Amino acid sequence: MILFKNATLFDGKTFYEGTLDLLVREGIIETFGQNVSAPGAEILDLGGKVLSPGFVDLHCHMRDPGFEWREDIESAAAAAAAGGFSTAVAMPNTDPAVDNDALVRYVIEKGIRAGYSRILPAGAVTKRREGKELAEMGKMASAGCVLFTDDGAPVGSSRLFRTALQYSQSLKVRIMEHPEDTSLSRGGQVNEGRCSSLAGLKGIPASAEEIGVFRAISLSRETGVPVHLTHLSTRESVSLVREAKKEGLAVTCDVTPHHLRFSEESVIESGFDSRFKVNPPLRSSDDIESLWEALADGTVDAIATDHAPWHLDEKDLPFPEAPFGIASIECAFPGVFTCWLNRGKPFGLDRLLALFTSGPASLLPGEWPSHGRLTRLGKADLVVLDMDLERKVAVEEWKSKARLSPWEGLSLFGWPVLTMVEGRVVFDRSRE
Amino acid sequence: MEWKHRHVLDLKDWKREDILFLLDQAKNMDNLIDRPIKKVPALRGKLVVNLFFEASTRTRVSFELAEKLLSADVVNWSASGSSVSKGETLRDTAWTLEAMGADAVVVRHGASGSAHYLARKLKRAVVFNGGDGAYSHPTQALLDAYTAWKSFPNLEGRKMAILGDVLHSRVARSDIQVFRTLGCEIVLSGPETLMPFDVKSLGVTYEPDPWKAVKNADIVYLLRIQRERQEEGLFPSLDEYHLRFGADEKLVSKAKEGALVMHPGPINRRVEIDSSIADGTQSRILQQVRSGVAVRMALLYLCLGGVMA
Repeated sequence: MILFKNATLFDGKTFYEGTLDLLVREGIIETFGQNVSAPGAEILDLGGKVLSPGFVDLHCHMRDPGFEWREDIESAAAAAAAGGFSTAVAMPNTDPAVDNDALVRYVIEKGIRAGYSRILPAGAVTKRREGKELAEMGKMASAGCVLFTDDGAPVGSSRLFRTALQYSQSLKVRIMEHPEDTSLSRGGQVNEGRCSSLAGLKGIPASAEEIGVFRAISLSRETGVPVHLTHLSTRESVSLVREAKKEGLAVTCDVTPHHLRFSEESVIESGFDSRFKVNPPLRSSDDIESLWEALADGTVDAIATDHAPWHLDEKDLPFPEAPFGIASIECAFPGVFTCWLNRGKPFGLDRLLALFTSGPASLLPGEWPSHGRLTRLGKADLVVLDMDLERKVAVEEWKSKARLSPWEGLSLFGWPVLTMVEGRVVFDRSRE
Repeated sequence: MEWKHRHVLDLKDWKREDILFLLDQAKNMDNLIDRPIKKVPALRGKLVVNLFFEASTRTRVSFELAEKLLSADVVNWSASGSSVSKGETLRDTAWTLEAMGADAVVVRHGASGSAHYLARKLKRAVVFNGGDGAYSHPTQALLDAYTAWKSFPNLEGRKMAILGDVLHSRVARSDIQVFRTLGCEIVLSGPETLMPFDVKSLGVTYEPDPWKAVKNADIVYLLRIQRERQEEGLFPSLDEYHLRFGADEKLVSKAKEGALVMHPGPINRRVEIDSSIADGTQSRILQQVRSGVAVRMALLYLCLGGVMA
């Protein structure tokens, strides 16, 4: 039994006025309000710190099974907890790919054994992520898979994508599409624009992503099936989603912390540091502006990390030889929150927090949306945030196995200090 | 003047006075080459490693010559048949070289940014970029500047036309940096498919018509056209390239009288350049080669803190 005293309560969408107390008993939020007392409860006086539903990450590469030297479910779950995420969705681009119910169960069970944040599996849309045959989506959905995606790549052919949407409709599990026309992006290293022109590196044009976005919207419109677009990075991409939403289509999207913070200039300024190599590539400062506008006006539904850890030896190479991917889950919220502060708080903190809580949770099936809300008798998935705590990102202290990140050394505010999953404390900064 | 460039990776941060100082130093070296006994002991006891991951003749030989004329100890380390072909990473190669006591490493590598990478990994040795990917070839640009400067002591306001495959050219990117800093106006020409996507970001303009691009130019700079680019489908044929953009007497006659024709070599006769131009009086192609030795001597001397006897 834990009693949080003097918390600034955020319910997943809005803040309660003043400070309140909240009692957690047996994994459940028993009650909250003024002057809650519970004899025998451990008391944590938050002194006005924010108490929010735990964050939900829709997009996390845990590299397990198959690439455990980069990350495994245990290290990823511990890293998620330290980042304030009480739930993280594991991407299926593993070896073997998570494309059947046995592997879906493997991910869930390994996550439970790890005992940190809750790990939910995403299943592949196609067998072995080859984009040829549908994976057993029904069996995977029954086993507890919460998203379908061939992430790392788009769904192979438009025809197969259309079929997958139709087939998955009755399963109530969303398809999360990584939008990319690979015939345009193949061999590309950086944003096609200033960076490719100055660096002499092959560019990945914005159109490669935007054609993928358009394809997904068009197929969603025609089939009437929801689709989620992940890691959007260009002005036109979010503009297409904005229009689709106006039209009433069930199209949703997320953006990543790094696309909100870093531009293609970082690649040049860092002298081609491979920490800045990611797909989709870091774009122009105008694209960054467009993503912040899309956060403000509700076009974006969630911020998802696309946490993509690599072993130091694999990532520490000359830029063109290094793999794509940025590790960030342990500093994702502080990273975005600090940008939001530096931009003069362009919208409410409630909106920003919703993008980490109710926003992503609402895209998951079954009971999971309720985990993004803070309700009486709801599951106690919580995070305590110290908005005034300033720390430098220190990658060598990470629970993740990643040891390179563009966030390294940046001084950020808004750190999670305690993360709870169903009443269990899975991260406590005071004990670190 | 105090020399503040520790490595020579690119020319992004080089100011006009840095370039002019270097050109002055190169002139001294150039005079040295004319002496009956060319060799000076300026870098005696310094170990320079030439680390070449890509085929190169003129850059490697030019560096080697410059190193030897300054009495440095020279080791050539090429990728084929070395530890690199056994899967050693650039990082480990760098540390190995440093453990052997290298004072300087000249690196040529196919990956843009690899010279920067090497400089980050080396604790002590000075890095000279001998060309990395399509990003930078600073010594080529400086020798081009030196060659042009000998004809035009003031490059301010001069017009330079660069023709060819700018997209894949590290030479073009570096020349643009140097010649712009020296006050030249630069126009690019060539098939649109061989141009960088955002020409403006380079601070230059693009003129699809080579005749207009070359008009009134003081320097006509031609880039090598590689057959691979045709195979990638970026232009239909070498013959069509030659017909539209090849430098012949008619095209060069549009430039200013006495305009310089330059090319980083090796040249493709009857593709980007006709023999009448390559071997003509306006050509500076062989002077560029000679300048290369002098410019590289000056750079080695300045960055390695040599002592002139």
